[in-house]
Amino acid sequence: MLKSNQILLELYRIMTFSRNLDKIIGSHDGHWHGLEGEEAVVAGVYHGLRQTDVLAPHYRGSPVAAYAKGADLRRLMAGMFAKKTGYNAGRHRNDICGPPEFNLIGLYSGSLGPPLGYAAGAALAAKLDGRDDVAVAVFGDGVSSRGDCHEAMNLASVQRLPIIFVCQNNQFAISTNVNDGVSGSIAARGAGFGMSGIEVDGNDILAVHGAMQTAISKARQGDGPSLIEAKTYRVAGHFYSDTEDYRDQAEVKAWRKRDPIVKFRKYLTAEGISSMSELDALDQEVETEIRLAFEQALVDPKPDTEELSVEYVYAGGRS
Amino acid sequence: MTRQTFQQACVDAIAEEMRRDQNVLIMGEDVGTFGGPLKSTAGLWQEFGAEGRVIDMPISEGTIVGAAIGAAMQGKRPIVDLMFLEFLGLIMQQLMDAGAMHYYSAGTVKIPLVVRAKYGVGPFHGHAYDLHSWAAHIPGIKIVAPTTPREAKAMMKSAILDDNPVLFLEHMALYHAGKEEIDEDLPHVPIGKARISRAGNDVTIIGSGLMSKRALQAAKILAQSGIDAEVIDLRTIVPLDEKTIIQSAKKTGRVIVVNEAIRSANSAHEIVSVVADHAFDSLKAPVKLIAAPSVPVPFHREMEKAFLPKVEDIVECAGNLMNKNREYLP
Repeated sequence: MLKSNQILLELYRIMTFSRNLDKIIGSHDGHWHGLEGEEAVVAGVYHGLRQTDVLAPHYRGSPVAAYAKGADLRRLMAGMFAKKTGYNAGRHRNDICGPPEFNLIGLYSGSLGPPLGYAAGAALAAKLDGRDDVAVAVFGDGVSSRGDCHEAMNLASVQRLPIIFVCQNNQFAISTNVNDGVSGSIAARGAGFGMSGIEVDGNDILAVHGAMQTAISKARQGDGPSLIEAKTYRVAGHFYSDTEDYRDQAEVKAWRKRDPIVKFRKYLTAEGISSMSELDALDQEVETEIRLAFEQALVDPKPDTEELSVEYVYAGGRS
Repeated sequence: MTRQTFQQACVDAIAEEMRRDQNVLIMGEDVGTFGGPLKSTAGLWQEFGAEGRVIDMPISEGTIVGAAIGAAMQGKRPIVDLMFLEFLGLIMQQLMDAGAMHYYSAGTVKIPLVVRAKYGVGPFHGHAYDLHSWAAHIPGIKIVAPTTPREAKAMMKSAILDDNPVLFLEHMALYHAGKEEIDEDLPHVPIGKARISRAGNDVTIIGSGLMSKRALQAAKILAQSGIDAEVIDLRTIVPLDEKTIIQSAKKTGRVIVVNEAIRSANSAHEIVSVVADHAFDSLKAPVKLIAAPSVPVPFHREMEKAFLPKVEDIVECAGNLMNKNREYLP
């Protein structure tokens, strides 16, 4: 198989992983933040990063980022249910905070802006060390309104840091439509901060992946930060039990017709890279992998309340 | 041996650690050629600027600390000069995250970060707010507030060497106030250990920074009337050296805590609580907290002076405790 074909199938695997994860966890947990409709963004952005590249993903798709970065699915899944066997040992949640062992920067609180600064700091460390590693910071249209976002972009540009800012613009900040929350173009802000800012079709995996590869090589060469705005649509509710009174279901229906996975399947088969039955088999394989991890996580042991001690809070104490 | 002010001692400690470890760096607003607010980084730019380890930052406090946290996660040992503790509100979310990271990652992440902040009513008129109690309510953050140049130097080194986020408080009334001999082989001052700066048997006075100095002055006055005060310089506010506090409280049976932050939700209430819990049977009088009134720091010099706990307040309070005067002050 051609190397480029292999990459295309890896991208497809990440997309179908995300869709199946939604299906399995979403049916179990009403608070699950589904990703339906946005799979091309996460696959295109999270695929192919090095172990030493640092990734601060959007919380919506954070487990997919961890999976793409090489985290163990069983431990990730255990972390979704706060089991002792999870990466966070049941002290925190893997659905929004991936394992730092894989250079993931997750959410350590419910506040969404600060990880953009942490990613900038990771890029600063790479620059000081003379490494050609990069940092990737992903945020939604909602967080684009935060001061943290503006501060991080300005600081990164002033310091010429190897970082890629990606706005996963799914047009909703919980219930607030992007037209009510964001004024002007997010991509156009790049120019204001002295970096390239481009808008791509977030439902087109090839467009997202291509833009990302260009920005990554630019950052690795020491040419500073970039901003990519991937425009997509949150077909899923904010969470699975979202009643979605704030939007017209006709709009959701229309976007569902633009499903990025369906679109990519058509491309892969039309180009002769794969067949529908091969893709179905891959879907099935991924679903089984997730289901096994899910069932194991349900019966994994609970964390110890003994760890509710300040001895575990400071480095140098117990862990 | 050199004679140094508090400010010089802090800078010297940072320079020594930057020479020793390439991963130590300092970032903040005006830390470069300007030499830092109140000369807090004087000379560092000349020595380390070309290496990129003294980094002038845009006015983005939250993201400066955020970037420092991100760099710390990658093995750097960043020091942030926040300028003034008055700006603590701008970095609270980042401190909260940093304090949680080690615990939430089941021990995988370490954040060796120092945030320096100047505070306190002093000669500079302004930026005086002592807001340390906010940070004391964040799990995983250490808070130190040395009193003397020698200990400032030793504790700055301890803070840089610590694998946790440390808020390092620099009192503006002590900053350029006087020099102290500092030995080449400076003794190590661990974080989390208080110092008994004067031994005594009648009453324990506990403070840090400027208040620890005032406590010593009060002890001298009290000695003239035959009251033998023991003074504890906390040095570290979090984690609290409960052992030293409890031992002293059991010995003297009388405890006064002095703190220049406002009384309401002051971290010093924690000390009162520790004494009440663990030395109750030894107490001969109520435990007292002398703190600032719960108002914004006033601007007029006389108002400012009246706002701070004074030496006379401590003396009067100790006298009342000794005399079992039921009109305990303040």
